[in-house]
Amino acid sequence: MFKKVLWLALCTSALGAQAAELRVLTHSSFALSKELLAGFEQQSGVKVVVIKAGDAGEMVNKLILTRANPIADVVYGIDNTLLGKAQQAGVLEPTASPAGAAVKQTLPGMVSVDYGYVTLNYDKAWFARQKLALPTSLDELTRPAYKNLVVVENPATSSPGLAFLLATVKGLGEEPAFAWWGKLRDNGVKVAKGWSEAYYTDFSKNGGSRPIVVSYATSPAAEVFYSKEKLAEAPTGNLLLKGGVFQQVEGVALVKGGGQKQAAQQFVDFLRSGAVQADLPTQMWMYPVLPGVKLNPVFALAQQPTAHDTPDSRAIAAKSAGWVSRWTRVVLKSGY
Amino acid sequence: MLELVNLCKAFGQRVVADHLSLTVADGETLALLGPSGCGKSTLLKMIAGLERPDAGQIRLGGVDLTALAPEARQVALMFQDFALFPHLDVRDNVAFGLIERRLPRREAYARAERALAELGLAGYGARRVWTLSGGEQQRVALARALVTSPRLLLLDEPFSSLDAHLRQSLQAEFRRRLAAAHIPAILVTHDRAEAFALADRVAVLQQGKVVQCGRPQELLAAPRNAWVASFIGYHNVLDDGVLPEQAFLLGPAHPPARVERVDSLSEGIRVELTQQAARFTLTLSAREAAQFPEGLRAGQNIGLGIDRSRLIRFAGA
Amino acid sequence: MRAVFSRQALALLPLAFLTLMALAPLARLLYEGGSGFSANLFQDDYLRWRLLWSLTQAVVTCVLALAIGLPLAWVLTRFAFPGRALILRLLLLPFVMPTLVAALGVLALFGPHGVTGLNLQDTPWLLLYGNLFYNLPLVIRAASEALASVPASRLAAARTLGCTAWRAFWRVEWPVARPWLASALCLVFLYCFSGFGLALLLGGQRYATVEVEIYSLVAYELNLADAGALALLLLCLSGGVAFGYAWLERRLATPGKVEPLPPRPAVTLAERTLLAGALALLALFAAAPLLAVAGRALSAGVEAWAVLGEGDTLAALANTLRFSALALTLAAVLGLAHALAAQRWLWLRAAAFLPFVLSPVCVAFGLLLLYPGWSASLTLLLGAYALLAYPFVTKSVAAALDGVPPQWPQAARTLGASAPRAFVRVVWPLLQPAFRRGLAFAAATALGEFAVTLFLSRPEWTTLTTLIYQRLGRPGAANLDAALVLSSVLMLFAVSAFVIIEWPGRPAKDSDHA
Repeated sequence: MFKKVLWLALCTSALGAQAAELRVLTHSSFALSKELLAGFEQQSGVKVVVIKAGDAGEMVNKLILTRANPIADVVYGIDNTLLGKAQQAGVLEPTASPAGAAVKQTLPGMVSVDYGYVTLNYDKAWFARQKLALPTSLDELTRPAYKNLVVVENPATSSPGLAFLLATVKGLGEEPAFAWWGKLRDNGVKVAKGWSEAYYTDFSKNGGSRPIVVSYATSPAAEVFYSKEKLAEAPTGNLLLKGGVFQQVEGVALVKGGGQKQAAQQFVDFLRSGAVQADLPTQMWMYPVLPGVKLNPVFALAQQPTAHDTPDSRAIAAKSAGWVSRWTRVVLKSGY
Repeated sequence: MLELVNLCKAFGQRVVADHLSLTVADGETLALLGPSGCGKSTLLKMIAGLERPDAGQIRLGGVDLTALAPEARQVALMFQDFALFPHLDVRDNVAFGLIERRLPRREAYARAERALAELGLAGYGARRVWTLSGGEQQRVALARALVTSPRLLLLDEPFSSLDAHLRQSLQAEFRRRLAAAHIPAILVTHDRAEAFALADRVAVLQQGKVVQCGRPQELLAAPRNAWVASFIGYHNVLDDGVLPEQAFLLGPAHPPARVERVDSLSEGIRVELTQQAARFTLTLSAREAAQFPEGLRAGQNIGLGIDRSRLIRFAGA
Repeated sequence: MRAVFSRQALALLPLAFLTLMALAPLARLLYEGGSGFSANLFQDDYLRWRLLWSLTQAVVTCVLALAIGLPLAWVLTRFAFPGRALILRLLLLPFVMPTLVAALGVLALFGPHGVTGLNLQDTPWLLLYGNLFYNLPLVIRAASEALASVPASRLAAARTLGCTAWRAFWRVEWPVARPWLASALCLVFLYCFSGFGLALLLGGQRYATVEVEIYSLVAYELNLADAGALALLLLCLSGGVAFGYAWLERRLATPGKVEPLPPRPAVTLAERTLLAGALALLALFAAAPLLAVAGRALSAGVEAWAVLGEGDTLAALANTLRFSALALTLAAVLGLAHALAAQRWLWLRAAAFLPFVLSPVCVAFGLLLLYPGWSASLTLLLGAYALLAYPFVTKSVAAALDGVPPQWPQAARTLGASAPRAFVRVVWPLLQPAFRRGLAFAAATALGEFAVTLFLSRPEWTTLTTLIYQRLGRPGAANLDAALVLSSVLMLFAVSAFVIIEWPGRPAKDSDHA
């Protein structure tokens, strides 16, 4: 009996070793239709092992820590806020974009896959009830009328939080930006740990008392897509203010020191394929980088910002750590 | 036959056995008598295999047990608090050892019921052990120990947790059962009356050594030293021997002695007297006490003579 | 001697596990960080405030839990009422709830749109309430076990000596309960002090604990040196508490079998009021948030419940079952071995609390550094589950072992049972109730799997809890409803697990004395 089991175990492990595995590291929001992944496995002959490593920031740090002995062959989900950090740590293999249509949103050294905007969302019903005018600039948010109305994510623990901070720095200029943050702090801004906490416990649309939250420009469309009785109009809206919109571009790259180079490159191409690009929007609520991909009609409700304040990734790499600690000093640490 | 040869055991400074040697013949009951805390229980645990001696040998029927595990010794130990298993009912407690000896369950239960019936506990099999009285618990523990027909029975203060009345009635029964079972037994007690009532021989222990060992009459007739004499119950211990009750003569013809204290006993009285700085304790039967129709009171003087020829000299002197 | 030797051998199993899964990873992380932590780390006012706040909220929670938990436990132990046994078991339910869901439940009651109409958001009351939600049941369970171990005869003696029921409580029951309570409060303190979640969630960034600081240092700033220094500081502080806990617990050793006062029905008006009040208080603190979650899930409508039919949900259910069962098996083996070995050494007993005391994020990143090749393996994930769950088994079994007097196994030995047989036939049956109790806690931990999200995971390993978090990672009412429905399913799951684990427990059978 025991021998049989052992034999079986040996056989299966041998089989397992035969089918080549491609290890794909992603952040926890990664989602793709199962059929698409299965099709890719069939076509390329490799088994795709998706490894989720938490939030994007956490993922990059895990990649950096294990660079001597990489835990994956290809990584998806590094965006322009993290790209510089990853490249400085030397964990990425320069990855060539597949030939074909030119894309507008690019990431140097990586292959961009999708993009989206981090911006302020507001609760329409709340503003209608309170008969309060929507703010027209970031500065207005520091006025008494908007006291205790805003919740943001901590940039030290959340990607959208960091993106929003970067946008304010770029849009307002470094010194005015931190002066603004100081005033916002005095006006009762609430800081949550992550997006889920902010959106579901502090945003007035759900359990909380704050009608303005840092979220994504596609969130209102998602609210309609995931509403119970099909809504004609989104219950939330975007506040596209100067200095309050960040364009986030996510991409894929080969991991330095990883194996399966050929399959990895195939996977990169796969993420840029028409089928995946069309699947992305309602899976991850991001826009495909490939031009001409037909979007789900619900995206008509999502307002694409016409302008954004996004520092270039080199500036982000050089300065974001300093900005985050300055933000912590200004918003969290003052008053102790 | 059980032989203890030069057993030694110490816990740090406390010596429990100091080159201790003893034998117990087949069918014999030996009492180990000693003050509380002198290590009698540890001695039993060594014989049972629950403690390992520092040196020496334990032989049963000529075979050295010292290296054997407790379960291989076939020595039954009855604990002071009986150690009945609370998660098992009475029957399962008694059948415990039989099941360990691979007896079929049905057979084990039948024997357990029989053993219980013999001890007057028929019909108690399904009772939970903590619903039993002290005397019932003791009998269950005894049944549990005897039912496996051990080669040696060890009893650790078997009566200490029972009340005086129960103790006396059970002791006689106990002695009968031990004799009937014809199993050598060692009984540990700090109560000399219990030791004399139950045992064929009594070994008096002090600081890990056998001070004296013999039949109860031998011990009473010739205690080895003053300590043994007072430990086995003599009141009037002198430097060279003890004065038994019969050495004291009462009557007005004798020199006066002052009554210091009078205690009533269940049969008679105990009187403490002083005569020329010497202090004596006398136990008077009800008949003897009748000499004093007005009774005895502290402060009173009575005549007391001492017959020195009846002095019991210490065997070791 | 042989017994001692084999127990030493037993200690090797948990020690090896702890070394491989907790100590070595932490050491590896500290090594990676080096000793270059900022010198002014501990001079920082902000950090000092964090530490002070972590301590304060933990202490305040302890005090409140004691003040509310003890009278509640007394009423639950002394009065009989229908459903009593079930309620005592359900007390573990809060443990299972993912913190975010618990926060949703709390806000549904006392949030801006709460059903009570009382808005406590952004006040310290809300987070204290949250802390009590998780920790009060712990104190109630401990106190109720303590009160159940007071012999009825002792209480009767006190009453005949002229004590009123109130005086009897202070002079007889309180001294017995004191060490139990102290040990439960140590645990509450450890949870709140090194805890991650609820305070931050309900109180906002201002009320974050030091553990959150470590988390952002490691996971976002990759500042391993500072994180390591902080983690060591926490380890020393809470390690001291854990040691005190182990010491106290060894003093708890109670006789194996006492005849406790059987609960009696509440008869007089005062007694009934007392009972009703206690149940209402329990409902307010422990049940209300859970009921709020279940209520919101029920009112979500049929479409929301359709999520149960989805392939992802079924797969997550299967995974939850599979992982919990495997983790529980591991936890049972490790927990027993550790408890048996810990009888001899106090330090080993204290070592069982290591998983509670170590910073989870440090362990997770340390594991990654130490075993990069294994980092995405199921073995490691299950190891992490077991690491967090097994101390409960150890804790419970070790306490029960203290109550087994040595003469019981000794008596079995003299009756012909070998050491293993004596264990199986005498000690093991006596440990059963405690073992089951420990397993129930372990199951709650495994189902709730707090902190396991820090480890690498694969989509095909999605469990109910991770699925809930995934749903809450997207906007939209349907996602919220699905999360609430899944949480209700998780509760149901947990309830059945507790019932299966604890129901056929012996105490019920043993206390039906004639």
